[in-house]
Amino acid sequence: MSEIQIRFSGSGGQGLQLAAKILASALALEGRSISMSQSYEPTSRGGLSRSDLVVDSSAGYPLVTEIDYLIILDQLAVENSTGMIKSGAAVIVDNERVDAPPPGEHKTSTLPLVQTAREVGNIRAANVVSLGAIVGISNICAQKSLLQAIHDTVPSRFVDLNLEAFKRGYALVSANREEDPHLTAVS
Amino acid sequence: MSSVLNLQGNHACALAAIAAGCRFYAGYPITPSSEVAERMSLELPAVDGIFIQMEDEIASMGAVIGASLGGAKTMTATSGPGFSLKQEHLGYAAATEVPCVIINVMRGGPSTGMPTRPAQGDVMQARWGTHGDHPIIVLTPWSVEEVYEQTMRAFDLSEALRIPVVVLIDEVIGHLVESVDMARFKAVKPVERKWADSKKQGFQPYAITEDFVPPMPRPGDGYRTHTTGLTHAESGFPTQDPETGQRVISRLLDKLEHHNKLVESVEQTDCEDAEVVIVAFGITARAAQSAIALLQKAGIKAGLFRPITLWPFPDQSYASATRNARLVLVPEMNAGQLIVEIERYQKDGTSVVGLNRYDGEAIAPQQIVNKVKEVLQNA
Repeated sequence: MSEIQIRFSGSGGQGLQLAAKILASALALEGRSISMSQSYEPTSRGGLSRSDLVVDSSAGYPLVTEIDYLIILDQLAVENSTGMIKSGAAVIVDNERVDAPPPGEHKTSTLPLVQTAREVGNIRAANVVSLGAIVGISNICAQKSLLQAIHDTVPSRFVDLNLEAFKRGYALVSANREEDPHLTAVS
Repeated sequence: MSSVLNLQGNHACALAAIAAGCRFYAGYPITPSSEVAERMSLELPAVDGIFIQMEDEIASMGAVIGASLGGAKTMTATSGPGFSLKQEHLGYAAATEVPCVIINVMRGGPSTGMPTRPAQGDVMQARWGTHGDHPIIVLTPWSVEEVYEQTMRAFDLSEALRIPVVVLIDEVIGHLVESVDMARFKAVKPVERKWADSKKQGFQPYAITEDFVPPMPRPGDGYRTHTTGLTHAESGFPTQDPETGQRVISRLLDKLEHHNKLVESVEQTDCEDAEVVIVAFGITARAAQSAIALLQKAGIKAGLFRPITLWPFPDQSYASATRNARLVLVPEMNAGQLIVEIERYQKDGTSVVGLNRYDGEAIAPQQIVNKVKEVLQNA
């Protein structure tokens, strides 16, 4: 399988590390190999936070160099990824928190990720809404694996909330695909 | 069940310590090493081991030495500023020949620096952080799998040679999660300490033996012994006699030289006919590995020399790996530390060039490629 590079980015406290952890866990269920790395500030809230996955690495280098799929949940995370986004990559930015998406030859889609989380009942579930969108676009793993990974990873009292957040994120992509041809897998 | 785990570097370190027989951990948590302490606090009680969070790094290093003298395999973990605090007792462990393993997950410095950001600024501190001529072994893993392997090896070397061993990890590797197949580690048997079994009458705790490693008296076995950081004769008691001082310190230093084959560990990729040899460790070596593939595609004969045992520096292997090199590039996440050691072995016809980054970001493969091309063009 060819290598895929994924980044979840935003500000500290948005659950970006957890999003990557859930996806890594889902991919492990399917026997895929991953490298997961991260960067965050010493503060527990705020500041740039990013979590990266390299799936089925071909070169053996564990950090992202050319991103295929990028989630941006806060404007402050835009600059950090600029210049590392692969041509033709799928970039999904939140419609409330990102005013100026990164420039370049990639497919940018603006989706109501935070708003969808709010509708589900907790703004902090925007990370898992984003996961739904990533899986919806990329088909990187089966929905079933991801739902299982949510069960395995999040505390039991938050499982239902996160399952709903995932499904809504996934539906966001299918609902908008006709209007937004960018919402397709990276070739 | 599959033997493949998604494992974090710091967690791999803790699991390897348990597998190697570590049953005592004392530490003071510090980013980016805290997951080592966290995991040890969960794992040790399950194997009847002891985990203790001490009041600071100085005390935790003291506790580690005490527990080791008491017969346990011991470990502590820290990062830059905490590593500085451990240096006093690290010297004591080296002088008294007390086995112990120190994990240093490097972060940005100097001082408290950039706590969550990667760096490789402790190359020289790991070698010379404590005062006086002392032997030390420093190991530098480049993957999560190798963190496991080298942490186990750190215990083996420490126990076999009665020497403190530092595992020098950068933040990227410490926090990296990789899919690791654990199957190959199942059959590994840890090395055990050489305990004294000679006559108790006239026992010399620091006797000069053929292999330069004096057997340790096991507490409770009834040997009379004495442990001091003062320069001590074979009896264990302090001495200021010049001849004795020269003899016992020489034995301490010769120990590593004598066991060089056991201690040295390097990995060479395509160095045989390489015109360009990159010398790197940790995450920077991962970048270099990718870079040499890109350079080779561009028709440049490039190789990677990776000192897994960073100290003592594997000078002879290095000389052999770079015998045909016109350029030796030393990328490191500091302002130029490993390069100082490399320059000692510089020979005519080879230029040694550094690539340095200390902004809290890792060196990328493309940066190394660009630097090599730039230097070759200007040559």
